[in-house]
Amino acid sequence: MSSLESRIAAYLAHAMPAASNVLVDDLGRIYGGSSQETFRLRARWTEGGQDIERRLILRRDAPAGLVVADRDLEYNVYRALAGQDLPIPGVYFLELDPQWLDRPFFIMDLCPGKPGSPFSPTDPYDGHGESIGRQFWSILGQLAAIDHRAVGLEGLRNGSATSGFWSLELDRWEGILDEGEALIEPAVRGAMRWLRRNPPPEPTKPAVVHGDYRSGNFLFTPDGKISAILDWEMCHVGDPLEDVAWGIDPFWPITRHYPLDDGLAQWEATSGLSVNRDALAWWQLFSVVKACVIWTTAASSFASGKNREMTIALSGIRAAHFHRKLLLSMMRDRGAMG
Amino acid sequence: MTTARNLTIDNALHGVGELLRDRISPEIGDPFAAQMARLSCMLLTICANGVDDAAELRVEENASIRAFLGEAAVLVDEPLARELTAAATSCDPGLRISVLDDENHRLRCLLVEAQTELEDSEASLASALNQRIWLLLEDIEAKRAPRE
Repeated sequence: MSSLESRIAAYLAHAMPAASNVLVDDLGRIYGGSSQETFRLRARWTEGGQDIERRLILRRDAPAGLVVADRDLEYNVYRALAGQDLPIPGVYFLELDPQWLDRPFFIMDLCPGKPGSPFSPTDPYDGHGESIGRQFWSILGQLAAIDHRAVGLEGLRNGSATSGFWSLELDRWEGILDEGEALIEPAVRGAMRWLRRNPPPEPTKPAVVHGDYRSGNFLFTPDGKISAILDWEMCHVGDPLEDVAWGIDPFWPITRHYPLDDGLAQWEATSGLSVNRDALAWWQLFSVVKACVIWTTAASSFASGKNREMTIALSGIRAAHFHRKLLLSMMRDRGAMG
Repeated sequence: MTTARNLTIDNALHGVGELLRDRISPEIGDPFAAQMARLSCMLLTICANGVDDAAELRVEENASIRAFLGEAAVLVDEPLARELTAAATSCDPGLRISVLDDENHRLRCLLVEAQTELEDSEASLASALNQRIWLLLEDIEAKRAPRE
């Protein structure tokens, strides 16, 4: 076993007192976990006279990442949403004590399937794009239909609010931008002012918002079935259209595989809600602003040396440019340039 | 005619990037590390392509913003008007990129303040200037686009 494998094995032995002969091998870092470090591994142990083998995922806090997240948030969301018929991994252990692996982490099931990169020049879904697009919207509709209080998620950000989600979220992202912006972007600030002056209609109901629901953040199996929705670290309570707008952002467009109108109809059918197009347009601009803030945070993390991942640096340069350009185009459509 | 070339910063960075992409990355067994090497090459290329005109781009951008601040100064109230006037007649305090970036940030902050006031104004001149500032922001973004 490598050093990290041994340390994980030691932790599992501690977390499972009834287990003996705990071994960890086949450890590998999974590319793409830029907010948290993601490792796959195989764990084997003996318990109650039986040999057990599990393929697991370990998610460990990065030294600094793209987003600011509570350490136990993703774990708690997975636990709360278990049993809601959503494709999500089962979670086992949350450990906040850095003595085990230097930083907090949790361990969950390795789900079958693979992610489809939204940046792939070829078909990322191996011919299943239409089916996956349909499931993408159905699952998001299912999530929007869940009563966050009923599943014990009122502790999420905005969990006790009943209205004004647009303002709460805009305040949050503006605050993050204020902290992490070394070179102010007047276009982003201008879009934020526009959003404040033109608030969207209130949602019919608050919903659990995934916060990063998009191509690349779910797995699918060879038969074209979405097997796991991942990366919930930005989950909160809010307007369900926030996730809809994020999902159709042109940086990771699911609309490349499934027409928008069909997708929205699918979402309406499963959520029981209707899409207000004016509100959706507001959230689309908000999504671009939020993306700009995330890329600014990424650039700052890299520049400070807290995170030296190349994906972080490139996000701070290429993705930031993409979204600022898109933001300017959206502001042009809103008459900002006359 | 000589074909000799200077070994410039951008030239050296391109060389390091090519080394990573063509000779080091293919030799790395770990897929994660190999991908990082390829992405490092991409980052180096973007940096290399932004070296030569980095100062010129910032000097020109700062001058453009100053011109707009001068126009905005007559349309906004004190004390911002005085600040904008002073900024409009200011000069870049040096040619180091870090110095130009600091000055760029200072001028951009004033531009944000100016825009905020212009948006609150009902005067058509203010609205027209604000629209031209948005066009300036489009222009700035285009000129700063990462070159890969």
